[in-house]
Amino acid sequence: MLRIETLHDHKRMSTQEVLLAIENAVEKGETEFDIRASGQHDIGGPLWNKSGGKLTFLVSNPGQRVGAMCLPGTEVVVNGPAPADVGWLNAGGRITVRGDVGDTAGHCAAAGVIYIGGRAGTRSGSLMKHDPLYDPPELWVLKNVGSFSFEFMGGGKAVVCGCGCEGLASVLGDRPCVGMVGGAVYFRGPVGELPPDVRCLPLTAEDVAFLDGGLEAFLEAVDKPRLRGELSAWENWRKIEPLPFDARERETPLSTASYRARQWIADGIFGDVYPDDFRVQGLVARGDYRLRVPLWNNDGQRCRDCRLCVRACPEHAVTRKEEDGKAIYLSDDARCIGCGLCAGVCPCAVWTMR
Amino acid sequence: METVKTQDIGLNDLPWILEYRPERCTLCGSCTAACTAGAIRFERERPGNPARKAGGEEGSTPGPRVVVRQSTALERACMGCGMCEKVCPGRAIRPVRNPDHRFPIVGRAHGPIKRGGRTNLNVQRTLDAIVVGRISQMTDPALDSERHTFDLRAPLGRVMLPRELPLRVRGDSLELEESTPPVSWIYPAIFSDMSIGALSTRAWEAIALACAYLNEQCGLPVRMCSGEGGMPVRLLESEKLRYMILQIASGHFGWNRILRALPRMKADPAGVLIKIGQGAKPGDGGLLPAAKVAPHIQAIRGVPRATLHSPPNHQGLYSIEESVQKMHLSLNAAFGFRVPVAIKCAASATSVSVYNNLLRDPYKICGGFFLDGIQGGTGAANEISLDHTGHPIVSKLRDCYMAAVAQGLQGQIPLWAGGGIGMTGNAAADAFKMICLGANGVVLGKLLIQLLGCVGNEHGRCNACASGRCPTGICTQDPRLVARLDVDKGAESIVNYMLTFDSELRKLLAPVGNSSLPVGRSDALVATDKAVADKLHIQYAC
Repeated sequence: MLRIETLHDHKRMSTQEVLLAIENAVEKGETEFDIRASGQHDIGGPLWNKSGGKLTFLVSNPGQRVGAMCLPGTEVVVNGPAPADVGWLNAGGRITVRGDVGDTAGHCAAAGVIYIGGRAGTRSGSLMKHDPLYDPPELWVLKNVGSFSFEFMGGGKAVVCGCGCEGLASVLGDRPCVGMVGGAVYFRGPVGELPPDVRCLPLTAEDVAFLDGGLEAFLEAVDKPRLRGELSAWENWRKIEPLPFDARERETPLSTASYRARQWIADGIFGDVYPDDFRVQGLVARGDYRLRVPLWNNDGQRCRDCRLCVRACPEHAVTRKEEDGKAIYLSDDARCIGCGLCAGVCPCAVWTMR
Repeated sequence: METVKTQDIGLNDLPWILEYRPERCTLCGSCTAACTAGAIRFERERPGNPARKAGGEEGSTPGPRVVVRQSTALERACMGCGMCEKVCPGRAIRPVRNPDHRFPIVGRAHGPIKRGGRTNLNVQRTLDAIVVGRISQMTDPALDSERHTFDLRAPLGRVMLPRELPLRVRGDSLELEESTPPVSWIYPAIFSDMSIGALSTRAWEAIALACAYLNEQCGLPVRMCSGEGGMPVRLLESEKLRYMILQIASGHFGWNRILRALPRMKADPAGVLIKIGQGAKPGDGGLLPAAKVAPHIQAIRGVPRATLHSPPNHQGLYSIEESVQKMHLSLNAAFGFRVPVAIKCAASATSVSVYNNLLRDPYKICGGFFLDGIQGGTGAANEISLDHTGHPIVSKLRDCYMAAVAQGLQGQIPLWAGGGIGMTGNAAADAFKMICLGANGVVLGKLLIQLLGCVGNEHGRCNACASGRCPTGICTQDPRLVARLDVDKGAESIVNYMLTFDSELRKLLAPVGNSSLPVGRSDALVATDKAVADKLHIQYAC
């Protein structure tokens, strides 16, 4: 057991001095540490014993990032509170803080276990992820977490027990789980508004088995074993999961057509002065919507009855009839598109477009 | 064959020549049926056409051969809209820009050229010489554009300085001793004032529909300005009036029905905009060609069918002070001093003087200064005005803002800038840069009709808005053409564009680190052009 007192006669060791002292000792084979810190950062990782032995750190009064980048085989216990970034990038360590912790606890943790015996600050559990080569990371919090918790969470399991949170509007703070794409957050107590791409569900038997299996070790670690009974009322728990990626199709927004039909002024805002059926005509239209209309005028008796117009009409709108032994040509308004081919082919200018 | 004389107009005199490939033509008639200009028609082919001889065996196609021919008549000149190309199943026809055309000359030899669209001569893009160059990189945290809560609201209305607020402490509470000017905090993009004469009923309705949809379904408090041609009464009497800014211009068209609707209004309008002038044709007044004065326009405007000119000035306004007194006071009073009243001017070498005068307004009844630059669009104008009058908006907006800053009065009379915003399709970038230069928000117009399907551009394409022959049914009152426009689809395009605009605006706010609109944050910009940097007082970078 190596004890490091970081304060001597009002002189404080720097973070660098403390970390180098720890590293030297680990190099020489020391495995047990009692660090009486005075705000030094990054205590606990990334360190490893060359013969594969376990490293344990008992820490008091740490600075930020206690247990940061912690490797498997390392255990860190803080007997009291710790500031920000506890277990940041935890890669496999077992980190226990018996008191409250600052912001971004467990931020980017991808393995190992983090136990918090009090409250955790904002953005706790953000960007946790799960590397499939290893067991998923766990973050257990006895009380609650601050706002923006579990932002962009990509994997792992978080447990927020909601103890001592009476009267709190949300044990996960404001706007939890924004951008969450993976993992699960188990919680007990009220929760604020959740983003649309996550869902809140009751626990399954598998969830209960996970919580039940981990609860004892957690409560033991944070020294609250008597809460076991109260926390085992599983009906008080819920789980937040992201929607599966494929199910994330946004709600189909109301179409503008439906909006116009249901919430717009009936028959349109010009309905009183410009009646409109709102039917849409193509660029090529028939009937009244034609831009030009053919007219067959044989007053000059020029028509040679050649039938070219009948053959040329792409819409088969032109027909020939006989009246009193004379040929007359007609164009059917319902078929004609006003293209003017009849007038174009006519050798006698009997057809004109108007 | 007729004799062709040198002074006859030929195809090569026209701005657009149709490239026609008879060997691909199926003679389906779609192009001639779709062409609103009447620029093409079928004609019997003259003998000896080599293309046809090469195409098929002699005698295999009985009867005369017909081809599509382009008219050389000036009044039927192809306008390049490309509808023929769009409908042609065989890719046999398309308009091609003619670099050698003589249209500015031969056109004017037949009288002043009138058209719509934007200036075709002043298409410089100052805003593209500016980039958002001040990025939060270790200096301060950049924001997450997707998830951060941004406050994208801009004032419409006179903003009081805190020390000017008539506040008094009474007991434990702070109370207003007298009323303060109305201010609405709205989305920093206003749908600009395109009148119900300029646009078809369907186009105008599609924009109004998109505006209401954005408010009610998307939470974007976008406002739309009516334009000077009055308002549909059904809208005046609807709750949706709250999204509309009513315009009064020199012709005062449509105000009879607006006033008569007052007792039946269920909501106050979003504002009143006094239009003094328009960036596209400053000093030239409004113009609605007779071809577009349909019966419903005649009714709403209270005039017979005729070409309608709004005078270039408000008759009875002879000074800035008078305009504040008469127009601002009366329109404030008409709505019980509950509705912000703003004023719109064409950007001009004199804009700063006008703004300075407004800033001194002792009555606090001027609720906004709208500046419209030379690149603004219009439904109809003399080409001489479109191309040769006006003032670029970017530096003028900046000048006005800096003038207010010099007096410590910035932010009190909101500055709204329009005229070319979104000309290249990037309205969010344009808006962001204008805001950094001092605008509170921007005004979008031409972009909206382009979203409805308008194919016009500032390189002379289409621009037929003044003719009544708009091929997309947007700037016409011809019921046959209006019927071409799909209101729902058009509104949907505008809605979707604005949602993109909103997310793009956040993408620009986030790296700068602003949660709210960075009005006047010119430190966020760098110019890659030294002259632009110097003129706008922003950093130069290369």
